[in-house]
Amino acid sequence: MTAVEPRPQTAEVRASKRTEILENRPVNLDGFVEEWPEKGLVAMESDFDPQPSIRVEGGRIVELDGRTREQFDFMDTFIADHAIDVDTCEQAMAIESVEIARMLVDPRTSRADVVALGRGLTPAKILDVVKLMNVVEIMMGMQKVRSRRTPANQAHSTSAKDNPIQVAADAAEAAVRGFAELETTLGVLRYAPLVAIGLQVGGQVGRGGVLTQCALEEATELDLGMRGITAYAETISIYGTESVFVDGDDTPWSKAFLASAYASRGIKMRFTSGTGSEVQMGNAEGRSMLFLEIRCILMAKGAGVQGLQNGSISCIGVPGAVPGGIRAVAAENLVASWMDLECASGNDQSFSHSAMRRTSRLVPQLFSGTDFVCSGYSGVPNKDNMFAGSNLDTEDYDDWNTIQRDMQVDGGLRHVREDVILQVRNKAARALQAVFAELDLPAITDEEVEAATYADSSDDYPDRDVLADLEGARSVMERGVTGLDLVKVLERSGFGDVAENYLQVLRQRVSGDLLQTAAIFTGDFVPLAAVNDANDYAGPGTGYRLSGERWEELKKLRHVTSAENPEEEVV
Amino acid sequence: MTVDLTPADYPLSINRPELLRTPTGKALADITMAAVVSGEVTAEDLRVTPETLVLQGRIAESAGRRQLGENCRRAAEMTAIPDAEVLAMYNALRPNASSAAQLEEIATRLEGTYSATTCAALVREAAEVYAARNLLADDSGEF
Repeated sequence: MTAVEPRPQTAEVRASKRTEILENRPVNLDGFVEEWPEKGLVAMESDFDPQPSIRVEGGRIVELDGRTREQFDFMDTFIADHAIDVDTCEQAMAIESVEIARMLVDPRTSRADVVALGRGLTPAKILDVVKLMNVVEIMMGMQKVRSRRTPANQAHSTSAKDNPIQVAADAAEAAVRGFAELETTLGVLRYAPLVAIGLQVGGQVGRGGVLTQCALEEATELDLGMRGITAYAETISIYGTESVFVDGDDTPWSKAFLASAYASRGIKMRFTSGTGSEVQMGNAEGRSMLFLEIRCILMAKGAGVQGLQNGSISCIGVPGAVPGGIRAVAAENLVASWMDLECASGNDQSFSHSAMRRTSRLVPQLFSGTDFVCSGYSGVPNKDNMFAGSNLDTEDYDDWNTIQRDMQVDGGLRHVREDVILQVRNKAARALQAVFAELDLPAITDEEVEAATYADSSDDYPDRDVLADLEGARSVMERGVTGLDLVKVLERSGFGDVAENYLQVLRQRVSGDLLQTAAIFTGDFVPLAAVNDANDYAGPGTGYRLSGERWEELKKLRHVTSAENPEEEVV
Repeated sequence: MTVDLTPADYPLSINRPELLRTPTGKALADITMAAVVSGEVTAEDLRVTPETLVLQGRIAESAGRRQLGENCRRAAEMTAIPDAEVLAMYNALRPNASSAAQLEEIATRLEGTYSATTCAALVREAAEVYAARNLLADDSGEF
């Protein structure tokens, strides 16, 4: 958080009443700092960033952005040897940056052409290109280069008390509202197995085709994935300087190995990075935030991972505090998409007290459309969000739906009637109650099921016996409970449709279909990726257009007056 | 059997299910709830085979995604490695975690035991870079 108390008014200086009002506006609780380019505290325009350069000798890149191979750090080496296309780079680098920037914006240049050109560019050249683009041009570019045609969204479902019943009920509600992916994490890490089971069971109650993940340290996260308790992984962090990468106890090679490990088990995975992480971790090596983020994006591409979560993520307070910082965040999403990666575009961690700033930060991704507009949107009240708060939460559902309707944009959500929401919340809690009973885990009472049906936050649930739950969580891991075990339990406890949805999620591992770029499931379990649903935007009248059945769905809100009878509301 | 695949073959689960098998040789259509309940389908069936990963890698390459294709090929090699050993190898690749000799041992094992030549190449490449960037653990016995 970036909150500081407003500056105290000294008695001698009299402020106007207007100033007093402005002083008390939420935006003045936000933190803002001057740029300090020498330390990397600068968004994207720094004299300390290198000039673009490339030199190829004997089929190998021997110079990259002003450094020769002997001077390369491990990021340079990895990017030169894995990310950049040696055959095309000299030709691509010879094109004027302004020409490339115009190609990104101009709908008459195809996505395929601009993506192909991007394969030959260095980090400094990519920065040089996006520096020329204002925020509207960045949005124009994003509309064209995002990889999947149909935008989607991701929710967080967490609990301040790590209550698995709350996580299940909120996951079910998030799923029925339209989220394609659900992510959870923990306060107490040992609770992970129970909360991950709650998320998975709840998600499959809400609708078919929802994918779930549990953010943990790398080894446990992979373990839960291998067991089939989670469906994908995202919190595989990478960094833009060698020193910070090493501080994170990884290298591009260890992360590339991990990427293959996930794929070898048929599990979808994306890396995570973001502007501001290096300066926040104290070693930006004097480079701008966006330059370092572009290195991360190229490292991810070189590793062959299908996608990246970026958009500053948990460091949003850093770019949010400097001039042009939120423009740089929009630019980093653009570059990830341009480099042909799935982009889960942030709009997650809270960074501002101002509702206007929070909305404006969201506009570039929501209006252009991205593979996941939020990564994620808090499907619980902010105080229950264990990712340190969120830019958007459950209180914003109706605002989000209204903005979709106002602007005719698809942000992946829809308004759902109260009776449907109560029904899925109740069913999720009952399904989890049955799973806990069958697995001999601490019982979920009918009182807890009732609470889950009508609750808002963790305060609305009876307290659990935490020690008993942690013992249960341990036994889940020790007994080697798998996703398939959960399917069987659901099937025999009368939740056959939930079991069937879950089995479909596990079954896709055999096909490997979710390993392709930006893959999600439709509600009918049809994989939708940047292969069979490749973005074909080519100007007005093309690409994803909100129309037909989906547009009719988005016209519905909580209160819409009937045209025929102004006394009535449309249901 | 070499199959030429293009983006039109995707998703394989719908357009080319005849190409897919579970590690125990079952077809995708055999993974039914009845088979799960009867115990015919086990957790072992719900894994991807190296053959399928190679097919997905070809689709990725046909869509212009060379590196994703390479990742699928490394993954295909890794299907043979048990979960615990995959994790141990990952941990060994962390900075300052292994000596040059230890990394070479892993590369040799990848090649010899698992025929994982592209994975071995990645480990050897890491060893070379770690040596240059001072990210190797000291060999026990030295100093």
